Amino acid sequence: MSTRDKVEINKLPTGVPGLDEIVGGGLPEFSFNIIAGAPGSGKTTLAHQLVFANATPEHPALYFTVLGESAIKMLRYQQQYTFFDPAKLPGSIRFINLSQVVLKNDLGAVLGEITKEVEKTNPAIVVVDSFRTMVRTPPNDMDLQSFIQRLALFLASWQATTFLIGEYAEEELRDNPIFTVADGLFWLRQTAERNSIVRKLQIIKLRGQASVPGLHTFRITHAGLQAFSRTFGLTARVRNPIGQRRLSFGIPELDKMLGGGVREGDSVLVAGSSGTGKSVLATQFIAEGIRHGEPGIVAVFEERPQAYAERAVSLGLDLETPQKDGKLTILYLRPLDLSVDETMHSILDAVQKIGAKRLVIDSLAGFEMALSPGFRADFRESLYRMIFALTGIGVTILSTVEVDESFTEFPFSTYSISFLTDDIIRLRYVSIDGQLRKILVVIKMRGGNHAKDIREYEITSNGVVILGKRLTNYQALISGLPVHSDRSTQEEEPCHDSEFKNQP
Amino acid sequence: MNMTTLPEMRDLAQQLLTCEAAGGKTSEPVGSATLRVYEKLRTRLGELAGTAGFQSLASRALTLAKSEDPSLGSVRVAVDGKLEGMSAVESPLNAEKDEIQEGGVVLFSRLFGLLLIFLGEALTMNLIRDVWPDAALGDGNSENGREV
Repeated sequence: MSTRDKVEINKLPTGVPGLDEIVGGGLPEFSFNIIAGAPGSGKTTLAHQLVFANATPEHPALYFTVLGESAIKMLRYQQQYTFFDPAKLPGSIRFINLSQVVLKNDLGAVLGEITKEVEKTNPAIVVVDSFRTMVRTPPNDMDLQSFIQRLALFLASWQATTFLIGEYAEEELRDNPIFTVADGLFWLRQTAERNSIVRKLQIIKLRGQASVPGLHTFRITHAGLQAFSRTFGLTARVRNPIGQRRLSFGIPELDKMLGGGVREGDSVLVAGSSGTGKSVLATQFIAEGIRHGEPGIVAVFEERPQAYAERAVSLGLDLETPQKDGKLTILYLRPLDLSVDETMHSILDAVQKIGAKRLVIDSLAGFEMALSPGFRADFRESLYRMIFALTGIGVTILSTVEVDESFTEFPFSTYSISFLTDDIIRLRYVSIDGQLRKILVVIKMRGGNHAKDIREYEITSNGVVILGKRLTNYQALISGLPVHSDRSTQEEEPCHDSEFKNQP
Repeated sequence: MNMTTLPEMRDLAQQLLTCEAAGGKTSEPVGSATLRVYEKLRTRLGELAGTAGFQSLASRALTLAKSEDPSLGSVRVAVDGKLEGMSAVESPLNAEKDEIQEGGVVLFSRLFGLLLIFLGEALTMNLIRDVWPDAALGDGNSENGREV
């Protein structure tokens, strides 16, 4: 049998931003699915989005409501969501209440009523909400299993894609005949992490196609559910080949130290204590990119975009004009209850919107603080996914990180994330000749060689300005408490690895 | 929303009663126009909200209607949602002629008022048009609020 002879399963849109990618492109047509979760987890809203996204007069939906929430109240609340289109009722979406049948009769009568309505309407989508209330006290498991199997067979034969909504605890997952029969099993969770609520969904099972495994965060807003894939929606995207270009900071001496600039697609970490000029360097990096026609994104967590742009003015950099021209977006990401996936979604949206080539995250500490406490534990793992995803599409990332200044250590980051970055630039204070001065050193460049020089710099009205040549008349500079050596300051060229020197 | 029935809801109730009265003259009528409108609504809304859901909604509408039209005092909504005692209230002469009864207008305008509050204008009108697809109904723009 050739590939062409195999049956092709149509995929229905979920109507939930981000969810199509998670389920592997859409929902398998004619599948029999369970949407499970605790009360308030968003099951009914998800079902409504599925229905409103697919129901048409030619392919209508039947929405059976059982005991539990009143249909009128449910419609009252659900129509507050933007996806709710009243014009679809009752022509495309018909709500049928089965509570009387459930109360008075057995499961056979319920099946009979569903069968009657389905045969009458010939729906493309069928929802039973809440299915759990219908089968909470079955006479025995065999009856329930038989009921489920007959229902699943009937609805599939009638070419209906079905969603049964049920309130289930996770321990009920095992040995439950409903879950065995189901083609798809969607589990919604809502957990409290300190003062934040974190919503996650999992595709426990989906026959016939590859869904993205793991727990995906989602949010419920006025537009309904929005899901954020762990793969950030980049699974289908072709990774860009690593660029050969070097991106300038607009600081010639620093570019020289970096072997010509930051390699395109790298992740750069600028580490230093408070006031060493991390944000200044980041701003110069973005501004220089814009000057070369490379749109940029700045994700700020600790100050408002207006304040960020105003600070740039004091460095002689205009961030207002490129914002107006669509060349720069300063994202202020809402603090305290973000997930990394949501943050990524915002950043990716902005990247795609303006075709950004450079991204500044200022700072990682602010980013971490903006996350819900539950996500902070996974911060390193999340950063890894984020950096991998963004650099994979050719974005060069510069992150700033504040480190505690120590005179016995020379840390690069408090997050132990230096392995995630291609290049590290370290800024620090040193005590020299009765002054607190600043030095800069390139610690690492994954894609090539770099200067080993320790250079003094100042922050002026022109931004970071590297002074003179490397400091040769001090020992133990990186300790912060250098010792004056007998060697006099000499005018020397920056020292690079021999390999770099040998490059054409 | 004040004690009086919204004019738009009264207009709608009158249109539906007129529609049923006209239908009753051409086919074999079963009961008065009021009861025929009520039964159609009971069937459609019962499908949506269930028997108990419709019964509670109709009971509330009737209670509100009674405060406006005391002649409805002996009318009640049964457990299965059916309207009882309406034929005794309606004028026998008018009911025979299938003329519109004020009690019916008040009751339905209150019921539509409740639907408007709970479901909004778009869904309420869609439901009514679903029951009377051939009726020429105007959209009643009404304020929202709780019936008192």
